[in-house]
Amino acid sequence: MLPIVSITLFLPLLGALLVMTLRKAPVQVVHTIGIVTSGLTLMGVVRMWSRGVNETGFAQLEQLDWMPSIGAAYRVGVDGISLPLVLLTALLFFVTFIYSAKVRKQSHAFVALMLLLETASIGVFTALDAILFYVFFEVSLVAMYFMIAEWGHEDRQRAALMFFIYTFLGSLPLLLAILGLYLGSDPHTFDMRDWISNPPLNGTAAMLALVAMLITFAVKTPVFPFHTWLPAAHVQAPAAGSVILAGVMLKFGTYGLVRFAFQMTPDAFRDAGIVILVFGVVAALYGAFAALAQSDLKRLVAYTSVNHMGYIIIGVAIAALATDPAIRATALDGSVLQMVSHGLVTGALFLLVGMLQDRANTREMDQFGGLLNVIPILGWSFVLAAFASLGLPGLAHFPAEFQIFLATLQVEPVAVIAILGIVITAGLYLRAIGKVFLGEPREKWTNMADLNVREVLALSPLLILIVAVGVVPAWVLDVIHKTTAALQF
Amino acid sequence: MERDLALIIPEIIVLLTGVVALVAEMLRLPRIALTVTVTGLLLATGMTLPLLGADTSIFGGTFRIDMLSVWAKLILLPATVLSVLLARTELGGSDREGTVYSLVCFVTLGSLVLAGAGDSMLLVLGILLSGLGSFALVAYPRNDSATEAAMKFFVFAAVTGAIMIFGLSYWFGGTGSTLLSDLSRLEEKPVVAAVGLIAVIVGLGYKASLVPFHFWAPDAYEGAPVSIAAYLSVVPKIGAILALTQVVRDLPMSTGWPLVIAVVSVITMTYGYLAALVQDNIVRLLAYSSVAQAGYFLIGIVAVGASPLAFTSIIVFSAAYAAMNLGAFAVVMHAGRTLDVFSGIGRKNIAIGVAMVVFLLSLAGIPPLAGFVGKFLLFGASIEAGFTWLAVIAILNSVLSLAVYLRIIVPMYQQPIITASGSAPIPLVKWVLGITFTFTLGIGLAAQVLLGRLA
Repeated sequence: MLPIVSITLFLPLLGALLVMTLRKAPVQVVHTIGIVTSGLTLMGVVRMWSRGVNETGFAQLEQLDWMPSIGAAYRVGVDGISLPLVLLTALLFFVTFIYSAKVRKQSHAFVALMLLLETASIGVFTALDAILFYVFFEVSLVAMYFMIAEWGHEDRQRAALMFFIYTFLGSLPLLLAILGLYLGSDPHTFDMRDWISNPPLNGTAAMLALVAMLITFAVKTPVFPFHTWLPAAHVQAPAAGSVILAGVMLKFGTYGLVRFAFQMTPDAFRDAGIVILVFGVVAALYGAFAALAQSDLKRLVAYTSVNHMGYIIIGVAIAALATDPAIRATALDGSVLQMVSHGLVTGALFLLVGMLQDRANTREMDQFGGLLNVIPILGWSFVLAAFASLGLPGLAHFPAEFQIFLATLQVEPVAVIAILGIVITAGLYLRAIGKVFLGEPREKWTNMADLNVREVLALSPLLILIVAVGVVPAWVLDVIHKTTAALQF
Repeated sequence: MERDLALIIPEIIVLLTGVVALVAEMLRLPRIALTVTVTGLLLATGMTLPLLGADTSIFGGTFRIDMLSVWAKLILLPATVLSVLLARTELGGSDREGTVYSLVCFVTLGSLVLAGAGDSMLLVLGILLSGLGSFALVAYPRNDSATEAAMKFFVFAAVTGAIMIFGLSYWFGGTGSTLLSDLSRLEEKPVVAAVGLIAVIVGLGYKASLVPFHFWAPDAYEGAPVSIAAYLSVVPKIGAILALTQVVRDLPMSTGWPLVIAVVSVITMTYGYLAALVQDNIVRLLAYSSVAQAGYFLIGIVAVGASPLAFTSIIVFSAAYAAMNLGAFAVVMHAGRTLDVFSGIGRKNIAIGVAMVVFLLSLAGIPPLAGFVGKFLLFGASIEAGFTWLAVIAILNSVLSLAVYLRIIVPMYQQPIITASGSAPIPLVKWVLGITFTFTLGIGLAAQVLLGRLA
């Protein structure tokens, strides 16, 4: 059997090394390497998808001794929670490489960094060893820092610095929690499977570890009041960086919430369930209201991310509070699917905003108007993605949010006030569409070019999947449900 | 006696190397001095390998051949070789070049004596041996700033050394012996134990540049040639840290030494990074950073006796620190001493840029680099020893450290302020950079190679 997970994981890194050795290669070659490598990676993930997951535990395990003296090993594998996220990651990187083929500034470094980031991102979702997980978690941070600092917009240095220090500070409590779990496990090991099947800590120690992990993942997700780095980073990041940041890296937080906090300190998580739920509700509402106040299209999308991440937190908290395994599975199914949907939808939205900015050099909504007639493909794509983002039935977010709220109603009906967030996002997206794409076309934009072939190629996989997940969510949900239904909690 | 001598062959080789290098210099043959030094140090490293796994003491328990002292040789001797190569690049062709190599050998010998000290008199000997050579090395350029730095360094050393000897006399009085292994007799004499402990922290703390005994370090590093600063920030410091480890392993827990060391650790790393934040001279910045890193070493010392990870973590972090710190100094030697010359350097010379980023991120403790593995083990040791709060503070300091090191990294990728030469480093520096880079990555990724031999 081919070690397909490891191959998929390290393929982008090999691509990065290749790009670094071909220092004299022309720009087109470099971008081709990027596209081909990420395409092959995507094929690897598709192969992983076809191998599927188990009802119990992790599938497609691959391991190798690394530091046996301290119980750390190279262990990778997937389950129903991580596999959809791996697919999402590979897909988003692929389309981002296609979209970014126009980058001319330091394109060698750009492609190499993006490929490094891809390995780190896939690594976060496939690692089954806590040290390995932490390594990938931090490497992604370094790569994203350079991405924003080098290819970002006007105020990129400050935003990159803020992003790096903020999220680095955020990730350190996780290190403490990992050490605590390690010292609590007997015999000492960093094997995440052991920690999940046999939670090493209990009582106060477990609660402290949980708090540490929650801080880390709250910063990463981000949850109000730890979200302040997000709008700054998004506004300054290049479009490619924004797509990866929102589409993939925010999921590190929610994935960690499930994988670490929920699964490794289950009792403490249940005790703290209500508090976590409140944070989720506040994040959902705050994100929606903050988005409402934005005039910059990119900031608007960034804040709706805070809103959508809030729903995921609500779902995980409800899963912890639920006593009926069926309801718990429903809540988790919804949360994991929401991660995938958000990646697809927000990825598409950031690409579209990036494309609009390429043309107009501004993202202020008031500057636009009537663009639907001028650039119909971009316009209608945005309308589709925006409707998906506000949770329209038949599009990606609906089945996810539906399940989350269904479970919430059965467990903690009060929390359903978060549904208000959907109403607000609906309002703000309709307003944004109205301002930018409807009304009288403005004089200065009449010559704006519509999407070219490359942009359509980058965008269409996401739009197709948004509809596919919305109409027939079963193909993703079945994979997720296999794991969530069998979850011991 | 023969057995005892056989066990210190590496030390004897280092001593002879220093003497021969000195003779070569007297004959005005600096190249020979260089060759002898490098060969001698590498030979000593090779002769240390058979001692791996030994755990004994010699000369009536006054000198220890244990995990700490053997690994001290395996880390400090190669680190000395790298420093010598840097010194050759920086000082080659100058007057009295050969004396540098000879002095470096003696200082390294002093550091090795410290690392294996089993007797309080050897502590004194080690401090003096490594100290005397260091003053001369700092004063080597013979200009005002170097002389002033050496003078400060000397006065500081004299005072702290006197305090240490004074305190050690209490321990001698309390135990009736100068052997460190007899310190367990201090169980019932808390005041005597405390006076001695504080005096030892002063004496070794100056050498390891712990706050508040660090004042000499930034001045000395700044005044000295960069290669000497690199050397002083690694070899004598690690020697002193290991000496402190040797001392506390025999000290009764009831004297409360772990708490004292923990407090010094917190003060050292916090102050070191805060001071580093406001430096514009990179040598001074790295000097304060190395002060702060000394605080991290202490985390491992706190756990001595309480956590099996303690020795492992100290040794792994020593190796990591030696590689990344020498690497960072080597880049500074190539590029220049001010922050301004670093602007845009990453764009001009990609290899230098990548190397510096790796060294600095490793110093900040970012995985999967050497510094991360070292710090991770240190944190693990302190949590296991019941000092979770210390690990928390250390982790908060890691954020501060990132801010410090980003002060160098950020301008490296901006538009250059000064049009510094984008020249490639000369071959010797390239070698040093290559080796330290390999170890900074290698200790991170293949930590097992070290851990397996330490278990």
